[in-house]
Amino acid sequence: MNGADRKISFSDDVRPIFQSSCWKCHGSGTQLGKLDLSSRDSALRVITPGDPEKSRLYRLVAGLEKPAMPMGSTLTPQQLETIRLWINQGAVWDSTGKYWAFEKPVSARGKSIDDLVKRALDERGLTPAPEADRRTLLRRAYLDLIGLPPTPTETDEFLNDRKPGAWERLIDKLLASPHYGERWGRHWLDVARYADSNGFEHDFDRPNAWRYRDYVIRAFNADKPYDAFLREQIAGDELPNVTQDSLIATGFLRNYAKVGFREKDNPENRFDYLDDMLGTIGRGVLGLTVQCARCHDHKFDPISQRDYYRMQASLFGYVEVDHPLTSRETAAAYEKKKAEIDARVNAVRQNLRELERPYRDQLLPAKYKRFPQNVQDAIATPEDKRTPGQVLLASQVIRTVSVSPAEIDRIMNPQDLAQKQTLNEEIARIEKERPEPIPVAMGITDGDYRFTPDGPGDEPAPGKGVKQAAIEGSFLHRGPGRYQTPPSYLLVRGDPNSKGPEMQPGFLSAITYGNPPTELPPASGNTAGRRRALAEWLVSPENPLTARVIVNRIWHHHFGHGIVPTLDNFGKMGEMPSNPELLDWLAVEFVNRGWSIKQMHRLIMTSDAYKRASKFDDAADLAKDPQNRYLWRYPMQRLDAEIIRDSILAVSGGLNPEMFGKPVFPKLQADVLKSMNYGIWKQSEDGPMVWRRSVYVYRKRGLPYPLLDIFDLPNQNISCGARNVSTVPTQALTLLNDEFVLRQAQLLSNRLQETEPTDPAKQIELAYRLALGRGPEDSELRVNLEFLKTRKLVDFAHVLLNLNEFLYLR
Amino acid sequence: MFRSRRKFLFESCGGLSGLGLACLLDQDGLLKAEGVETNPNAAKKPHFPARAKSVISLFMSGGVSHMDTFDPKPALAKYAGQPLTGKGEIVVRQGNPGPLMPSPFTFRKYGQSGIDVSEIFPQVAKHVDELAVMRSVMGMSNDHVQGHYALATGMIRMGFPSVGSWVNYGLGSENQNLPGFVVIYDAHGGPFGGPANWSAGFMPAAYQGTVFRPSGTPIVDLTPPADIAPEQQRARLDLLMKLNEMDAAKYPGNTDLAARIESYELAYRMQSTAPEAVNVESEPEATRKLYGLDDPVTAPFARQCLMARRLVERGVRFVQLYHGGLGVQNVDTWDAHENVQDNHSRHAAEVDKPIAALLTDLRATGLLDSTLVIWQGEFGRMPISQRGVGRDHNPGAMSIWMAGAKIRGGQIIGSSDEFGYKAEEQPISVHDLHASILHLLGMDHKRLTYRFNGRDIRLTDVYGELIPQVCGDKAA
Repeated sequence: MNGADRKISFSDDVRPIFQSSCWKCHGSGTQLGKLDLSSRDSALRVITPGDPEKSRLYRLVAGLEKPAMPMGSTLTPQQLETIRLWINQGAVWDSTGKYWAFEKPVSARGKSIDDLVKRALDERGLTPAPEADRRTLLRRAYLDLIGLPPTPTETDEFLNDRKPGAWERLIDKLLASPHYGERWGRHWLDVARYADSNGFEHDFDRPNAWRYRDYVIRAFNADKPYDAFLREQIAGDELPNVTQDSLIATGFLRNYAKVGFREKDNPENRFDYLDDMLGTIGRGVLGLTVQCARCHDHKFDPISQRDYYRMQASLFGYVEVDHPLTSRETAAAYEKKKAEIDARVNAVRQNLRELERPYRDQLLPAKYKRFPQNVQDAIATPEDKRTPGQVLLASQVIRTVSVSPAEIDRIMNPQDLAQKQTLNEEIARIEKERPEPIPVAMGITDGDYRFTPDGPGDEPAPGKGVKQAAIEGSFLHRGPGRYQTPPSYLLVRGDPNSKGPEMQPGFLSAITYGNPPTELPPASGNTAGRRRALAEWLVSPENPLTARVIVNRIWHHHFGHGIVPTLDNFGKMGEMPSNPELLDWLAVEFVNRGWSIKQMHRLIMTSDAYKRASKFDDAADLAKDPQNRYLWRYPMQRLDAEIIRDSILAVSGGLNPEMFGKPVFPKLQADVLKSMNYGIWKQSEDGPMVWRRSVYVYRKRGLPYPLLDIFDLPNQNISCGARNVSTVPTQALTLLNDEFVLRQAQLLSNRLQETEPTDPAKQIELAYRLALGRGPEDSELRVNLEFLKTRKLVDFAHVLLNLNEFLYLR
Repeated sequence: MFRSRRKFLFESCGGLSGLGLACLLDQDGLLKAEGVETNPNAAKKPHFPARAKSVISLFMSGGVSHMDTFDPKPALAKYAGQPLTGKGEIVVRQGNPGPLMPSPFTFRKYGQSGIDVSEIFPQVAKHVDELAVMRSVMGMSNDHVQGHYALATGMIRMGFPSVGSWVNYGLGSENQNLPGFVVIYDAHGGPFGGPANWSAGFMPAAYQGTVFRPSGTPIVDLTPPADIAPEQQRARLDLLMKLNEMDAAKYPGNTDLAARIESYELAYRMQSTAPEAVNVESEPEATRKLYGLDDPVTAPFARQCLMARRLVERGVRFVQLYHGGLGVQNVDTWDAHENVQDNHSRHAAEVDKPIAALLTDLRATGLLDSTLVIWQGEFGRMPISQRGVGRDHNPGAMSIWMAGAKIRGGQIIGSSDEFGYKAEEQPISVHDLHASILHLLGMDHKRLTYRFNGRDIRLTDVYGELIPQVCGDKAA
């Protein structure tokens, strides 16, 4: 189509022209003549949709009006014609009409997963594998849904259930297991870049981060509808019904890696944290690389820099808070009591300081002796006589020297010493009245970041970190009147020091339909309700991506790859869905079934595709679809890092099934511990206390637990959908030689010995049933019996924990 | 092609059980079944003929002072004790700025090139005609950790692949029995920022640095504990292989299983190849003396340097050494806040002889031309004093030198201002440095990309210019 009826696409046709010829001077960065062509809103100043001749933009580039544009060059006749047609056709800005992911999913009515998968197979002439045997299916369901292998009893129970509906009953049973949340919650924790430490140099501990992890596990176990789940995580503090859980949920936005040191001296850090939140919502919820638009318009997707800063404005009010998890009265009483104790202690301390002052002054001069002569000279010189260099030297030292209480004690007269003793006892007495800290959740709410209280290491360096004196305000809004979000701006090239126009909250224009509210303030008026509005936009039925992205994640975790293989990128640089109808069908079903993730498991796991055998080598299929994108067989998958460790523990009998609570610290080898510089790792003995499920292992950003890390633990600093799967010899070394694995092998061996004290054949039988959910085949029995003639049971037990069949889901 | 859930095999066409199959499949173009990528560490062709095959990076953790080592500043003596003015706000890491402070060390010209080197590096100074000394490199942060990440990954945030990972991703390894990217850190402890310095970021674990310990068994979990005899372990492995083979026979087309079987054989081979590779005791006495293994002051870093030479000799692509580890920060690293004279003379004495020996030895064994040696820290230090005798952090300028890789030695590249406060002539960014390292290894930093989440990501992001004196035709 080249004629006048050619349909013009902004992204494909107009955008390149704007990019090469207009935006340099009239884009989001620079707006010569105050003209900004980076969004439709602002460009309408020079465009009359439907009428090119009346549009100043067209007149300028066509040379019908002066100054002829673009400055210093001219558009080609084809480009000019494109602009003319585009305006004629209404100057439609984005490609929503064209790009699949930006259109709302439409369900193929009356179809099922089986229909849609089968159609894809048939179209390509692929022959599906037969259904897997029941033992394989059982193990698949256990590892997939709860991340633990079935016990021999559970295996028998299922195999003996010959009544119709046994498979469905099994799925229901597993979905009701509390272990389900430990397995599927973990998938979301990857998206939420959850960790127990800050990262960066100091890698400070986050003593309350685990409450968010527990919240996620509970939410999955309760099958909390995904829309409610998202609402709580983005705006749990501004919902009509705020609960402890919804406050804990706001930890989602606070999971970003944080410098956590001298933040006030480095106010630009905050923009990185905002970027991380936007990135997590973008990739994690919308499957879009929103972050690409921080410094310039997105190169491939219709996400403008304005869109980015509109969304940033939606989050801009955020401040970090530790939400008290008690009644408001209890929290207030605690704060009051704490303040009272602080005041009383401070009063006594003041007396103490007065008492010590003369002694301190006496001791101080000697303290300067440890400094080089030039420093001592500078200090000795009277202030008004110091050279400019001496002023600097003296200032570096004078405030940094201190005298310890013990030093003072040594020279105090007995009377003062007794008095000091009395004061210290008084402090101790008051401190005894200090109430136990109340439980708190690490979350966020709205406030004014410019008045954030000092955090660890936040004491501003002299002359820095000064509050902006002209601004009156407080950290958290407690009335009267409504909370006002501090102003935020479009940042030219993403530079916090290059402020562009002030921004109002908003969303991605390419996928915003209608005119959704951008603020939904709560009745209290204490927050802006911008995050609430953002959450509502995300879960609105009008949003084309949210449901698609999550059902694709679910599909990925069941099959090892998504219908859209790039889970976090549904944009143009992502990959196309292998089966678009199926994706849409799932997305629509998901919303229709109340955003229930458990319902999706039921739908997917009862499909033929899920139940197919992985043991199926059809040469023709392999040639036509070597990647098995269309699921002609079930894809074999290596277990995730956590599930390898958890399976080992389950099979050895060592697993401590206790749920929730503070993270555990498995024992680290001394050498590994040495590579850690900061933060905490509470080295503990290897034993049941730490043999908890891996989801409870401390997630230290600066030092991921090596046993898990080696099996492709995701980078904990950015939202991650699909983990890497690698096969490297250091994994083999770990499973062969690591102290933890060897200890578990010994436990397994003891377990076999205790249950079957004498008969090697029975020991082998039991071991296979424990580890693999089946008895040994004759050939395997023979090989193992032969082995046990000369070798110990532990040798055999250790081998089992290394078997491919043990490490791969089939 | 599947990009999200990448599967990687670590295997070679060495003819072991599962291998034959993998190679056959590869020939048939079937190896990519179910998203499997080929051996991530197989040697790959560079974009253009490479000047060097491997890299030894000598990282002086804590921040080496340039004006006390390779960038003499007579102006500091002239203006000693006076404030540094006319440079805008002086940003220091700790407390307030102090006055200008001359170097406590003397400088002397060495070699034919007559380049000035501080008295604390008398041995390295003798090699000055082999060094390209860059005096205008700029760090990216005055924070140790972020400074480390910048040099290691080009980003100040954690979570990005390190240079060693990029190099292995781009070129693979020449020795399939050893990791392609080896890290040996100081006996005192890891460097600032810890393992994120050698992480593969979003790339598969196959590209991450493997830590070798300077003594004992080189790799964590390389060998079983003492109560498991080697033959007992072999017996376990034999049974494992037998059972895995029986299992794999039921899945003839599955390369994942074949790869894992092979990874166990490789792991077993590494138990002998890795200790052998770093067995410095097997070196002739003269060599050990050359490095300074006989002197307790130089022995620790001598061991690291000699291990590096042996690893490079065996085809390891990238060896990252750290000197300075976090025991006591101001003492055990180059972080000379308290006293630059004490700190730097002590640490220089620990590394001077080993580094000089490494250069001598690489030259003697013919490896220097194919090995890029780079000496660096995370930032320079301040020309002004901290409490009279110390120096604070300064990312504005630092000196980094390169040797080997057929780089023309005896040249000074760029300059810092008269005090050494900021880079002045030909400022060199971390990205320029990275672009040049890749270039010397035969790779175009703009073409070496890794697709992550729909974006082709580069080590140099959207930056990086080649350093012409190092990379240009005349450099050789």
